[in-house]
Amino acid sequence: MAKQVSGGLREWVIPFAFAFCAGWVIWHGPAYILDFFPHENPSMTAQITELHERKDVSPNMSGLFGGIMDIFDWAALLALPVIGYFGMRSVVYAQMEYPNPPRIDLFALFIGRVAMILIISMTLIMLYEVFLRYVIEAPTLWANELTLWIAGYVFLLSGFYAMQQRCHIRIFIIYDLLPKFGRRICDTISVVLLCLFAFFLVFGSYNQVFGIKFHRWEMFGTAFDPPIPATIQPMILIVVCLVALQSVVNLIADWNKEPVEHDEGDLIDEEELEAIKKSVGAD
Amino acid sequence: MDVGVISIVLVFSLLFLLAIGMPLGLASAVLAALVMIMKFEPTLLTDPMSFGTGILTSNPGTGPLYLLTQKIFDLMTEYVLISVPLFIFMAALLERSGIAKQMYDSLDFWLSRVRGGVAIVTSIMAVLMAAMSGIIGGEVVLLGLIALPQMLRLGYNQNLAIGTICASGSLGTMIPPSIVLIIYGLITETSIKALFTGAFIPGFMLASFIIIYIVVRTQLDPSQAPLPEPKPDDPQGGEKWLMFAGFVSVVAGASSVILVARVGLLTVLGRNDPSVDKFEPPFLGMVGDLPLLLGIIAASAAVIFLVAGRERTTVGWQRGKGLVPPLAVIGIVLGSIYGGVTGITEAAGMGALAVFCIALFRGEASVDLLWVSMMRTLRSTGTIIWVTIGAAALAGAYTLAGGPTYIAQLIIGAEMPTMLVILTMMLILLFMGAFMDWVGIVLLIIPVFLPIVQRLPIEEIGFIGQLSPHHVAIWFGVLFCMNMQVSFLSPPFGPAAFYLKSVAPPHISLTDIFRGFLPFIGVQLLALSVLLLWPSIVTLLL
Repeated sequence: MAKQVSGGLREWVIPFAFAFCAGWVIWHGPAYILDFFPHENPSMTAQITELHERKDVSPNMSGLFGGIMDIFDWAALLALPVIGYFGMRSVVYAQMEYPNPPRIDLFALFIGRVAMILIISMTLIMLYEVFLRYVIEAPTLWANELTLWIAGYVFLLSGFYAMQQRCHIRIFIIYDLLPKFGRRICDTISVVLLCLFAFFLVFGSYNQVFGIKFHRWEMFGTAFDPPIPATIQPMILIVVCLVALQSVVNLIADWNKEPVEHDEGDLIDEEELEAIKKSVGAD
Repeated sequence: MDVGVISIVLVFSLLFLLAIGMPLGLASAVLAALVMIMKFEPTLLTDPMSFGTGILTSNPGTGPLYLLTQKIFDLMTEYVLISVPLFIFMAALLERSGIAKQMYDSLDFWLSRVRGGVAIVTSIMAVLMAAMSGIIGGEVVLLGLIALPQMLRLGYNQNLAIGTICASGSLGTMIPPSIVLIIYGLITETSIKALFTGAFIPGFMLASFIIIYIVVRTQLDPSQAPLPEPKPDDPQGGEKWLMFAGFVSVVAGASSVILVARVGLLTVLGRNDPSVDKFEPPFLGMVGDLPLLLGIIAASAAVIFLVAGRERTTVGWQRGKGLVPPLAVIGIVLGSIYGGVTGITEAAGMGALAVFCIALFRGEASVDLLWVSMMRTLRSTGTIIWVTIGAAALAGAYTLAGGPTYIAQLIIGAEMPTMLVILTMMLILLFMGAFMDWVGIVLLIIPVFLPIVQRLPIEEIGFIGQLSPHHVAIWFGVLFCMNMQVSFLSPPFGPAAFYLKSVAPPHISLTDIFRGFLPFIGVQLLALSVLLLWPSIVTLLL
């Protein structure tokens, strides 16, 4: 079998399918809230039900199992882990990516692929809006806010991916002078502090974020009215926790790695260099 | 806890965390939580068992710590921030297409018989690339691959060649659009468009200083830049000028034709009708602009047919057409921002689309190109945005603790002369720039420095001209950007040196590279002092 190259058809299609299902689930959030986390207060229930009916993309479908969620909602929710599983299996490392990660890192890599699909989707939506607004003069109500919404996910998920890739900006001046033992201590301190931060952030805001913004499905308050506060705020807490977990995974994975010199020469990687050389026709 | 103690603890903890190699953004986030603890529940530090009794911890799930989530959320919903990944995307596409090489060949043809021509071409090319996107790195690498072998082959002085490439290559963040100014504008709530406008003159000033330096140096000592052997088919002196005139006329005439078509379109759609409410006349889009445009077309036609002649024009076009794609991209990006068409975010998206279309047209576009560019965008976005996230949280927490006011009082209370305060800041920025990435500096230091500058007596800033109070933030942003120019070159960690090292021939060591930088750092400091002495140069176009 020929060596697989990153960026094959499967790596486009599966993350896209994942993003699509996740998008469906997020958009129909009120239905899931009503079924899984019902409000005790009847007026809140009525409010969320009204929201659900206003935003439902597949109206007039009867809910399954005596709930609100229709067959598509269930299918999208159940498809997510399945697509995620196949997505993780389909990941092919690119040359520029961190070599030989442990298997658990496939999750971060797959999420990275999803974020890449989101980047291109966001760009296309924005260009579509530019076309409509300035050429046909028929701007949409939704494109700008959808771009903003997707960008929020891109920003957050890119940090998770960057953590797995160890490409967050660090200063190595003193770190590189330390022996292996010293480096292990430094890394451990960093990871412990990061986990503490994640703990404090979640501890200090879970009720506000999950109890109020998410549970009451707070919207953006505009014409298109995307649930940006209701979805991005929980995402912040989730991604910060994922980053903290990933840092623990990194610590374990790198524990016995031979120290590498960070002479800042790795500002630019080989693959990038090859590509640029090819583009200017140098040998 | 007292804000003074908090500040001192903050500075030392930051230094400690950076020293042990903790990622900058995450370190800032951790410190944000630390500041909140020191401010609201310091007993938690001395007695962790008291968890759950203070203001911060007695109310699980809510309370002051929620401010951090709120700060991060506010940043996530900044529309302008989207331009960061888009500009990175555009730069990633750009450096993989052959646009740069073709641009170099075109420029080189016109300037091949000029003393120091290749060095000048390098600078001009860097300016053009800087006006397309706002990222450095790829730019230095591209110039290093294209121009360095050329200059070394011709026998140029090695230091001159190295310095020219890196100093010009760093211009990417000085000439609009610039990612440094975008982040600066975001965190200081300054108009990014005004920052771009303000940076135009200083950016071109620095570029022209570099070019003047090259010309003077090579004129004084011609042996540093030998002329290439004339090629037999090379047109002679006057001939080349006529060809150039022909080429310029073609470009000017063609763009005027496009603009006339645009006027026609706008008129048909009724969009340049001044009777509408809140009418903003589109730039060069009114019927009244037609005589000017038609005049340009007529003049170009006259030059093409009467002065240069059709044959010379054809040759000139063949030689110069490599300049057209970059000029078109610049026109689209800057034209979108300044022509009142779209915002900065949309302009970045349009730029990315334009570069992709050009690559498509040149037969270089592929699914693979898109995939690799997307991956590169994701990586760079992750690193830049997460420093921004951490710093936004830290700045929020520190402001809540009263930090910036405290420091401003401290400086004002010291009764130092205004210019001395600013000079001290410049030294701190230059020093930090030698060790730290610009993202870190803009996010950690500027929120502290800018409030101080805004409280200094404005009439004492600079010696020539008077800065108006609402332009201070813009001036300081441009000044900061100029500082960062120096930081790209300054040893021991100037990134430009490492980018160049990765493509330079093996016999050129890092020390050689930094040695080549010295005079160019001098040029940059000269431009910096112009900004300090004459602050209102920034507001000339505003």
